[in-house]
Amino acid sequence: MKYISKFYFSLCFVLLSFFSNAQKKETISKDSIPHKTERYGLRLGVDLFKLTRMLYEDEYSGIELVGDYRLTRRHYLAAEIGNENKTVDDDQVNFTTKGSYLKVGFDYNTYENWLNMENIISIGLRYGFSTFSQTLNTYQIYNPNPYFGEAPIITYGEKVDGLTAQWIEFVTGIKVKVINNIFVGFSFSLNHLVYQKVPDNFDNLYIPGFNRTYDGNFGVGFNYTVSYFIPIYKSTVKAKEKKEKTK
Amino acid sequence: MKKILLLLLLAISFSGCEKDDICVDETTPRLILEFYDVTNPTVKKNVSSLNVIGEGQTLPLAIFNGVSVIELPLKITDDMTKYSLILNSTSNSITPNEDFLQFNYSRQNVYVSRACGYKTIYNLNSPNGVTRTDPTSNDGYWIQFINIQTTTIDTENEVHIKILF
Repeated sequence: MKYISKFYFSLCFVLLSFFSNAQKKETISKDSIPHKTERYGLRLGVDLFKLTRMLYEDEYSGIELVGDYRLTRRHYLAAEIGNENKTVDDDQVNFTTKGSYLKVGFDYNTYENWLNMENIISIGLRYGFSTFSQTLNTYQIYNPNPYFGEAPIITYGEKVDGLTAQWIEFVTGIKVKVINNIFVGFSFSLNHLVYQKVPDNFDNLYIPGFNRTYDGNFGVGFNYTVSYFIPIYKSTVKAKEKKEKTK
Repeated sequence: MKKILLLLLLAISFSGCEKDDICVDETTPRLILEFYDVTNPTVKKNVSSLNVIGEGQTLPLAIFNGVSVIELPLKITDDMTKYSLILNSTSNSITPNEDFLQFNYSRQNVYVSRACGYKTIYNLNSPNGVTRTDPTSNDGYWIQFINIQTTTIDTENEVHIKILF
């Protein structure tokens, strides 16, 4: 419980800071430059969070590639594709999860940029799909009455292939242009599992892309990305449209 | 600077995501024995200073006194568990009487949860789920009848075996 409250407390801090960012919206004045052009294109990147996890987590390897395509002034088609291999050593079970995942959805940019700025503070939705295997390496029988001695650790090692899971993610994140076409950003997601195929006599305690599972089909995710923007075309922002927005 | 702070906060928040759950589910059950009066089989009868020792153990499991229900842990690494049950073990007036009960079963390891891992559930053999022996044959059995109520032992919320004495 201590960890949970610690987690939510710090989460509140993060969310509060989003509010303070959003305040910048009001700084737009009516007499802004009429013919503003904005760039449209494809942004491709990699999740650095997963790469750094490989340094400090012994039995983890993972990679995630991210991409988004700007559809309208505010809407982006977004996708993440990745692969994870994680061994979890809990008190009672030790298991390895391996698999790949794909997330597809959209982002909505809530941030009103100044001229030539291309920053994004987004909220979005994803549909996630994962295909993976679970290997139960060892387990221990939970025996509250060890009169005949402590339960031994049982080596099992059977791999169950062909497991799948599907989920919905609510994503919020920021992307900031640092130099030229290079963006850095991070996003935070709340995941809700809608379908999973569980192995017989075991559970999906970790799902690639979804991360650790909790009771009640709930999960969280985080990524920290560096991406490169490939401009495809430019579009002029209509003055009329802007006028309506500011009123 | 603000962004860096944000990232730091997020990193701290995730460091709190450790395993935080403790095992609260029902796990490996014990065998529940209930004692009844042999002269009036519908009436529960309390045991007096019943010393229960598992085979191969030096310390008794417990000395039950004034209860009609006892709980016996079964071995999770073997398909049989043998107990010595000594009635009136601390009595001065009545001679203690020792009977052996051997429980024969098959085991199954069932997944419970992340925190609990697995539990063992048992299925008593049928027939010969319970065998009764007497180490000192001249004093006779104190256990008169053994009625197996259920062969499936997966919860402690029910009586598995009724014993008449």
